[in-house]
Amino acid sequence: MSRITRGNVRMALASVRSTKWRSLLTMLGVIIGIVSVVMVVGIGEGVKNEVANEINQFGKDLITVRPGAARNANGKMVSNADLLFGLNSISGLTEKDLQTIKQSEHVGLAAPLSVVSGAVTAGGQPRANSLVLATNQDLPGALNRSIKYGDFFKDDDANGNFAVIGKHVAQSLFDDNVPLGQSFTFRGQTFVVRGMFDEFKSTPLSPVSNFNNAIFIPYQTAQRLTGNSVQMYSILAKPDKPENTRSALNAIDSHLLKTHGGERDFAVLDQKDSLNSSSDILSLITTMIAAIAAISLLVGGVGIMNIMLASVTERTHEIGVRKAVGATNRQILNQFVLEAGVLSLVGGVAGILISIVGVYGLRTYTDLKPIISWQAIVVATLASLIIGVVFGAAPAVKAAAKDPIDALRHD
Amino acid sequence: MALIELKDVSKLYGFGDATTLALDEVSLTIEENEFVAVMGPSGCGKSTLMNLIGLLDRPTHGDYQLRGRYVSKLRTGQRAKIRRDMVGFVFQSFNLLPRMTVIENVALPLVYKGVGVNRRIKQAATMLERVGLKNREYYYPRHLSGGQAQCTAIARALINNPSLIIADEPTGNLDSANSRLVMELLSDIHKMGNTILFVTHNPELTRYATRVVYMHDGAIVHDEQTAIGEVASTAKKIIFTVPTKTEEDDLAGVSALMKAVPDASDVKQDKAEEKKTARKKKTKTKAKKRGGKKDE
Repeated sequence: MSRITRGNVRMALASVRSTKWRSLLTMLGVIIGIVSVVMVVGIGEGVKNEVANEINQFGKDLITVRPGAARNANGKMVSNADLLFGLNSISGLTEKDLQTIKQSEHVGLAAPLSVVSGAVTAGGQPRANSLVLATNQDLPGALNRSIKYGDFFKDDDANGNFAVIGKHVAQSLFDDNVPLGQSFTFRGQTFVVRGMFDEFKSTPLSPVSNFNNAIFIPYQTAQRLTGNSVQMYSILAKPDKPENTRSALNAIDSHLLKTHGGERDFAVLDQKDSLNSSSDILSLITTMIAAIAAISLLVGGVGIMNIMLASVTERTHEIGVRKAVGATNRQILNQFVLEAGVLSLVGGVAGILISIVGVYGLRTYTDLKPIISWQAIVVATLASLIIGVVFGAAPAVKAAAKDPIDALRHD
Repeated sequence: MALIELKDVSKLYGFGDATTLALDEVSLTIEENEFVAVMGPSGCGKSTLMNLIGLLDRPTHGDYQLRGRYVSKLRTGQRAKIRRDMVGFVFQSFNLLPRMTVIENVALPLVYKGVGVNRRIKQAATMLERVGLKNREYYYPRHLSGGQAQCTAIARALINNPSLIIADEPTGNLDSANSRLVMELLSDIHKMGNTILFVTHNPELTRYATRVVYMHDGAIVHDEQTAIGEVASTAKKIIFTVPTKTEEDDLAGVSALMKAVPDASDVKQDKAEEKKTARKKKTKTKAKKRGGKKDE
């Protein structure tokens, strides 16, 4: 095989070169296919990477406790999609859980997160879409965030009408860059803005995107306003020392299990778990779009088959001559398969180069940060080669089966 | 052992009412180092015979032994290998690949033998030097004259050092000067020990042959030994009567030839006589040949 290919690769390349326009048009299908797949996967990888960065901005030692089991009966991680639709969160966490977590060994900080429903009114105008979250004084520490202006509420004003806001709320609610001391009305009570968070790094699709749009109020205040009906959708905890993350996580887990009577209706996740569950759904989306893009690769393959069939008919005389000088059917077959493979491979390589240029363009002119990994390059190269060989097979079989005498007579 | 031994070989094309008998129980034995001219009108089965002998085609009936080996029932792949190693083809229309240079065309059979690129080029260059085309190595076939193209085709046929060269009207597309060039080349190759089979319509070219076979309607009707340098006696009868410049002349010559061919019943007698005279003449003509050619 190797001795046959040595001569034939050169012949195949010469054949591709000698019909430049036709080869280019034939390759176009493969080029478009490879570009779309590589770009989609690259963008997906980029977003995944961004999300990972965002999650890691809270520190690698953040522990998240959520209601509902994190693994289903099969032992597989429950993805964000399920959490999003609340399919597995039957009940919220309770204040008792918060106390249990706080008292677990190695736990330094524990902050609850609860959504408080209700409209916010500022300057006599009701504002829709405002998210009010109830939490405690441990939140800035747990999120690894500093307060840019003002102060977070302390232990002693836990029951007061104070609020700390995300950066985007300042603009949307008060039209002011530093709205400290301004007030708004929520559930019939007047709240005074006490501090403002620095901006959270975020992009669309990320689970923390709404912290910039959130108003944080003390947990006790929220309980008072709602008559103790607030449920925590999440508790964020931090270990006393970063190296104790694992043991803190285990301690929380075992204590909660005990207080829940042995029922695992909660999940204790470290950053790696959160990352996994969010990148799982991103991978799913990326795979789906890439699969659709791969159809164009298939169409490219059909294009190659079409042109190779035409080429075989056109070169019937040549096939006759080659057979007359001693080419076996197998050698003719190899030659045409190889030619299709080379054609497709050249298209694939061109596609990869265009993708690299495209990624550079996207990085320069948009917020997306696509990544092309070496794995993607290897897979794209192999895929284009395989497509060429598979779709080149039928024309090559046709070429090999030609009768030498008929072929020689053909003009 | 004879190089080629055909025994009652028939070739049929088509089926039912449309069956054509291209070869009708032909028996032919060709020894090593013969230079055989095959003559006959169009459609008499000359090319079919060449294709059969060259293993491009299979006989419908009969046995074919190539150097003692039964080859008609071999698999396609094995036949291709024998073709590659033992047979060189020269065609009327040259059949060079237009997208390859002269040297690549000559080296083509070596590709299928698995010879490396460098050795291929080296061998092809040697072969081109032998046929006098050393300075045309990197030309494309379209830049060559007819004679040069045919010499390239001969170089390609020779590259694998085959014992048998089959030339189907090698001079059919050439003018007389180029025809002479090509025939001289084939004659040289014959002297190196190769067996050559060629089809021609031109009686003049039987001068180069040691044996002339006449065919009609798929059968061999006459077979005579002839001395190198002399036009075969049967072909001679028409040679100066018909000019052979256009295709029509050729065809007219062929009809004249068919008239000249004795009846099949006379063949045996003629053969015996020819053999006797041929032996006597052989020694004399060898000396004459050189001189005779220069006069042309």
